[in-house]
Amino acid sequence: MSLKVENIVKTYGNYRAVDGLSFEMKEPGVFALLGTNGAGKTTSIRIMLGMLSADSGSVTWHGKKFCTANESIGYLAEERGLYPKYKIMDQLLYFASLKGMKKPQAMKALDYWFERLGVQDYRNMRAEQLSKGNQQKIQLIAALAPDPELLILDEPLSGLDPVNAELFKSVIREEIKKNKYVIMSSHQMSTIEEFCRGIVILNKGKTVLEGDLNEIKKGYGRVKLTVKCEGDITALAQECGLTATEETPNGSSYNVQSEQQAHALLGKIMEQHIPLIKYELREPSLNEIFIEKVGESDEK
Amino acid sequence: MKNNNTRGWKKVFGFTFIQYVKTKSFIAGTIIIAVIMMLLASGVNLIPKWLGAGEMISGTDPETEIILNKVYVADSTGTLTDEDISGLTALGFPQPERSDDVSGLISRLSDDEAGKVLVTVTAEEADGAILGYAVKTYYSPETDGDSVDAVSSAVVSVMKYRSMLDIGVKPEDFAATQRYYSTSKIQAGSDEWGVFESMINYIVPIVFSLVLFIFVFAYGQTVAQAIATEKTSRVMELLLTSVRPLAVVIGKVLAMCLVSIMQFLVLLLAGGAAFAATAPFGIGGDIMKMMQDPALQTGQNAEIAQALNNSFGTLSPLTFILILVIFILGFMLFALIAALVGASVSRMEDLAQAMQPYSLLGVLGFYLAYFPIMFTAESFDTGAASSNGMQMFSYFFPISSPFSLPSALLLGTLSLPQVLIAIIVLAAFVALIAVIVARVYEMIILHNGSRLKVKDILTLAFGKK
Repeated sequence: MSLKVENIVKTYGNYRAVDGLSFEMKEPGVFALLGTNGAGKTTSIRIMLGMLSADSGSVTWHGKKFCTANESIGYLAEERGLYPKYKIMDQLLYFASLKGMKKPQAMKALDYWFERLGVQDYRNMRAEQLSKGNQQKIQLIAALAPDPELLILDEPLSGLDPVNAELFKSVIREEIKKNKYVIMSSHQMSTIEEFCRGIVILNKGKTVLEGDLNEIKKGYGRVKLTVKCEGDITALAQECGLTATEETPNGSSYNVQSEQQAHALLGKIMEQHIPLIKYELREPSLNEIFIEKVGESDEK
Repeated sequence: MKNNNTRGWKKVFGFTFIQYVKTKSFIAGTIIIAVIMMLLASGVNLIPKWLGAGEMISGTDPETEIILNKVYVADSTGTLTDEDISGLTALGFPQPERSDDVSGLISRLSDDEAGKVLVTVTAEEADGAILGYAVKTYYSPETDGDSVDAVSSAVVSVMKYRSMLDIGVKPEDFAATQRYYSTSKIQAGSDEWGVFESMINYIVPIVFSLVLFIFVFAYGQTVAQAIATEKTSRVMELLLTSVRPLAVVIGKVLAMCLVSIMQFLVLLLAGGAAFAATAPFGIGGDIMKMMQDPALQTGQNAEIAQALNNSFGTLSPLTFILILVIFILGFMLFALIAALVGASVSRMEDLAQAMQPYSLLGVLGFYLAYFPIMFTAESFDTGAASSNGMQMFSYFFPISSPFSLPSALLLGTLSLPQVLIAIIVLAAFVALIAVIVARVYEMIILHNGSRLKVKDILTLAFGKK
C-alpha cells in the first residue's frame, strides 16, 4: 500500500469541486485520473500535492500523511510554466535545488535528460525563445531530474506533435520500468489504455467509475460488435434484436447483450451467403466506457 | 510543520537575488542612476562654488583682481577729498586722477585701450535738497567687468564714509554703523533654531522620505511583478511542489530588500565618491575646511557650524544601524503588501490596476511623514523647532513611520527610547502583516479568474479559513 487517497472533498462556496474522491495505488505503475473539462482532476491533483487543502479526507504515502515538501515528487502541470526571461539551465538548477539536489548531482541528471530529450542546445537559451513543444520537454526534465518516486503528469501529451508524443511515451515507459508510481491525467484515452492499470473517472467532482481497467473491461464483456458486409444486413440484425448505433464506412456498430446474440447475427449472414468483410466482437474501449459513464452521471 | 512552511526560502532568496541582479535592466538602470547621482553630487558641490557661495565659508574670499591701468574720478559734489581718492590705491587700484572734463574723458575712453575707467559722482536733488548720489562708471572697451564693479563699489563706500565723517561721525564709530542686524520670531518655550538649522531640519527629512518613497515604489512594483509573473506563467505550480507559499513570498521579499539596499549603497557610494573627488574644488571642501578650523567659524560661518553640529553632531554607528533597520522594516512592510497584490491577479495586464490601492497606501505614508515637515518650514519664520502632534503621529504610525523615523533619528528630533518604541511598533506591525499576507497568499496564489478586489482579500484575511 503506497498511495492512498481517501474521501477527499473540496468546495468553493456552494460549488463542490471534488466530492469524495478515493483511490489507491498499491504498487508501482500508472494510474489514470480521467474526466471531462472541469470534472475536478486538476483540483484533485493540487490537493494530492498539498497545494490546496481539502475540506475533508486524506492523502497518505507509504502509510504517512502526504507532505509535498518531504516527498520525492515530480509534477508536470497541465498549464506549463517556466520563467520566460531566465536561462533554461539556471531555472532547472533552481527547481532541482528546491528538490534538495546538490549542484553536481543536478548537473549530471540534467545532462542526461537534455541528451535524452534532444534539447541540449537550448540549455543557455531563455524559455521565451523556445517553441511550446520544447518548453514542454524542459518542464518534463524539471519533473524527472530529481528521479522522483511519484510522478504526476497532467495532460503530458497535449500539444505535442506525433514524434514528440512518441518520445514522451518512451520516457513514461522508462519510468514504469524503473518501478515509479505515475498518476496521469489525459483526454487521450488511447494513451491511457496504453499505460494505465487503475483508473478513476470523475464527472462534476463525483467519482463515476474507479478500478482496474482490465477488470472493468472484463466486467463489461465483449459487447461491442462491428460488422461490414457487401450488402444490407439491417433486417438480419433486427431479427437478432440489434439496432446499429453507428454506421460508418468501416461498417455498422452494435451493442450486444451477449456473445450469443452476436454469433446469431453472424450465423444469419453466413446462411444468406452475404459476403462478409469484417466481423469484430470486442470489449468496450476506454473512450466508450468514459462516454457511457459520464453520460449516465449527467442523466442522474 | 512550522519549518515546512518556510523551508526552502533561502533557495528562493538566492535565486531571486542572483537572477534579478543579472538582468540587463537592473545593471543598466543602476549604472545610469549612479552616473546621475555622481553628476548631482558633483553639481551640488561645484555649482554653489562657481556662484561664489564657498568663498565666504572657507574664508578664502580672494579680492577681485584689479585689472585696470587708469582710474579717473569726477566728483561734482565735492564730497571726496584728495585723501579719499588717493586711498583707493590701498584697495589695489592704480593711483586715481581727478578730472572735471567728463565729456572729453568719455569720448576718449570710447576709443581707448582696455583697463581705463572714469567714475563720476553727481548729486540728485529736489527742491534744493540732496536726495542721493549717482555714481556712474564709464570704461574703455574690453575692460574687465569685475574690476569696473569693484572700483564703483569702492567709490560708493568711500562716499558713505566721507559723508558720515562730514556730519560729525568719528572714524572709529563708522564701523559700528555698519554692523548687520538679523531679525527672528521665536515662540516662547520652543527650541531655538537658526536659519541654517531650520534649512537642514527641513531638507534632510524630505530627502529621506523621498528616498524610501522611491524605493518602496520602484521595488514594490518589482516584487508584485515577480510574484504575478510566477503566478501567471504557472511557474508557481511547479514551485509549490517543493516549497510552501510562505517560503516563496519570504524569499522573494527579502531578496528584493537586499537588492534595493545594495543598489542604494552603490548609488550612495557613487554620489559620495563624486562628492569627495570634487570636494577640493567645491563647496563641500570649503565646509569641511571651515568645520575643521575653529578660526574660520566666525560670523555666519559660526551659525552654519552650529547648525551642522546640532543636526548631525549626535550621529553614531547605532544611528546608522537603526536607520538600516527602519529601512528594512519599511521596505518589508510595503513589499509584503505588493506581493499580495501580485498574487491577486491572474493576468499581467491587471497588475497596474491592482497596484492602485498599494500606491495610495505609499502616498499616504509619504504625505503623513511629509506634511509635518511642511510645518517645520515655519521655523524659517518663527526660529522655533516645530514639534507638532501630526509629526509625533507620523513617527509611531507604521504606514508613515518608515518615512519619518530616519530623519527624526538623524536630527535627534526623537529621543533614542522613543525611536526604539516606534521601531518596535513598526516591527510588530510588519509581523502582523506577514501573518495576514501568508494566510491570504496561500489562498489566492492558485486562484485564476477575475482579479480579486481589496474587499475579497480582506474577507479571506479575516474570514473563516
